[in-house]
Amino acid sequence: MNNLWTVMSFTMRTKLRGKSFLILTILIALLLVVGSNLPYLIDKMAKGGGPVKVGYAQSEQADLVTSLSAVLSALPEPKVELVPVETPADEAGRTAALRQAIEEKMIKGYLQFVTTGDASFPSVTYLSKKQLSTDASQQLQASLQAVKTDAAVKDANLTQEQLAKLTAPISFSSIRLDELDGTGKTQEERDTALLLTYVILILLFMSVMVSGQMIASEITSEKSSRIMEILVTSVAPLQQLFGRVLGTFVVAVVQLVVFVGVAVLNLTLPHNKDSFLSLGIDFGNVDPLLLVFAVLMYLAGFFLYAMLFASIGSLVSRTEDLGQAVLPITMITLAGFYIAIFGMNSPESSFITICSYIPFFSPFLLFLRIGLAEPAWWEIALSVGILLASILAIGWLAAKIYRTGVLMYGKRPTIAELRRAMKAYKV
Amino acid sequence: MQRLVVNHIVKQFGDRTAVNGLSFEVGEGEIYGLLGANGAGKTTTMRMVLGLIMPDAGTVSYFGKSYSRELLPIMGYLPEERGMYPKIKVSEQVAYLGQLRGMSRKDADSSLKRWLERFDIPEHYDKKMEELSKGNQQKIQFIAAVIHSPKLLVLDEAFSGLDPVNVELLKATVKELRDKGTSILFSTHRMEHVEELCRNITIMHKSRPVLQGPVKEIKKKFPMERVLLAAEHEVQGLDKLTGVTSLTKHEHGYELRITRPEVAQSILQHALAQGPVRRFELMEPSLNEIFIRTVGDRHE
Repeated sequence: MNNLWTVMSFTMRTKLRGKSFLILTILIALLLVVGSNLPYLIDKMAKGGGPVKVGYAQSEQADLVTSLSAVLSALPEPKVELVPVETPADEAGRTAALRQAIEEKMIKGYLQFVTTGDASFPSVTYLSKKQLSTDASQQLQASLQAVKTDAAVKDANLTQEQLAKLTAPISFSSIRLDELDGTGKTQEERDTALLLTYVILILLFMSVMVSGQMIASEITSEKSSRIMEILVTSVAPLQQLFGRVLGTFVVAVVQLVVFVGVAVLNLTLPHNKDSFLSLGIDFGNVDPLLLVFAVLMYLAGFFLYAMLFASIGSLVSRTEDLGQAVLPITMITLAGFYIAIFGMNSPESSFITICSYIPFFSPFLLFLRIGLAEPAWWEIALSVGILLASILAIGWLAAKIYRTGVLMYGKRPTIAELRRAMKAYKV
Repeated sequence: MQRLVVNHIVKQFGDRTAVNGLSFEVGEGEIYGLLGANGAGKTTTMRMVLGLIMPDAGTVSYFGKSYSRELLPIMGYLPEERGMYPKIKVSEQVAYLGQLRGMSRKDADSSLKRWLERFDIPEHYDKKMEELSKGNQQKIQFIAAVIHSPKLLVLDEAFSGLDPVNVELLKATVKELRDKGTSILFSTHRMEHVEELCRNITIMHKSRPVLQGPVKEIKKKFPMERVLLAAEHEVQGLDKLTGVTSLTKHEHGYELRITRPEVAQSILQHALAQGPVRRFELMEPSLNEIFIRTVGDRHE
């Protein structure tokens, strides 16, 4: 027990003191700061300019422009402002004057009206140096539509009642039965769970990959530097293995706490609050049970994969060979991660359900199902049961492989060779 | 009661037998030599003694008991292929290894400082392992093996790759440890170290012990077959004497090989008849010769 703690604290100390760890942590934390403020920053920059100034020839289409101007200014947040430009009467002179106005930065662009044949409403073109933003373009189009409808309605001599009937919006919404009965999750709960699932998936995946690779490469380098011979004669291999995994786990959690802390701190800043509420995400909605499962699945996934990586690391003698040796596990991790990411669209599909019973995938998928679908309690219990049993089995196997592998040098052993060596070493 | 008793251990790796029926005992304050060519089974024997692998047959007992994890803090090991953490400070990693052997961090640290003083390299306390010269790295590794003052120390090729000055320094240290009562199992293929350090030895060849016993008795078993002779004048007709198998003329005298020790007397008389003799010696065989003969014979 004492030695377990010694190995654990040595692992933590050497890692936390390492320059690369510090630099990586700070770098990712900075990225998180930028990332969590990005929506606000983009918003701020877009708003900075106020409405776009759009010019028009003063004499042209006077009626239309007046009504358009009225519609635009009636909007709560007009993105377009119409600016009259004085122009000569002839076509060429008019274009030149409008272009001149753009050069003088009076306007960003101008509207050109072309009346074709018997159409009562002219076609409108916006001409400018830079593309009009999507918001402004949509607003302009909608406003023109409104002007046209108004004109048409006026021509048809409809009564106010008829007009109201015509323009009344239809109502359409979708509600799930369980939601209606109050037994299932509300849309808000589901949105929040979706975000949480995303975050947990990414954190789990990152932790597993980074820490797993770290564990494997450290074991291999201890083997290749031959300090392993001294270690295995000083401390029981099991204590050594679990001490290292636990130490790395603590380091990974410290890093996670820093990242999550930075993200939460930034997201709860007053200016970021609105952007989350507008996405329908309210952290007050998070089911505490879901958080318990998040922690549980993180733990399970971490230890399952850490053991796998450790046993592979113990089989390889040279650091150069490690990348190739861990490839199968990397693939399994990737598969679990991507099945989960794509499964977010259809969490109730039978593929996801089946995969959630496979222990390598269940840390990713069980959480997804609990968050987004409604698995029965026995399904959760079965999945967790299989997962825990496999962690114990893999931990036991990893300890055996580790015990044998650390003393085997030379080329990577085949499974048959490994079994023979296990028998020979009596582990 | 002997500290370490190895009794007919056998180890098989697949079809290959690594150690076959080896027995020996190491007492308190004794250095036991394990000799053999590469692949003779020395390292496997040491690993079995250290409890890393279990013998297929036979027993190893320590202080009269069989192996248990409680023994780890009183055992020390310097493996043949050396290694430490290259990127970690000397003080940090030696203290860690000491702690794993059951020392408190403070004790390990003060013990390290004492040893660094002893080896005259206290300035390396705060350096990273990779910054040290090879000789100094080996000294640190030696310190790591003995920092917890083990009662049973296993040294696998302890002096390989060291310069003569450092070999003397480590040899003196090993003797000091022996005099303090440490039992040491020592493997090497440098015979001059064995003659100087070991009371008893085993010569292994292809997994079997081929020669075993106190160094003196082993030497006695091999007849003295070499005569060194130096005289003021040239000695004629040495090669014509009966029982002389070969004659080599060196810068300062003659070296003769003889069939029986008695032949030596006739060589001396023969030389004295021609004038005064400056040096005459009937040489006992060196371990080196014994080794090459024992192992070499079986090669043929």
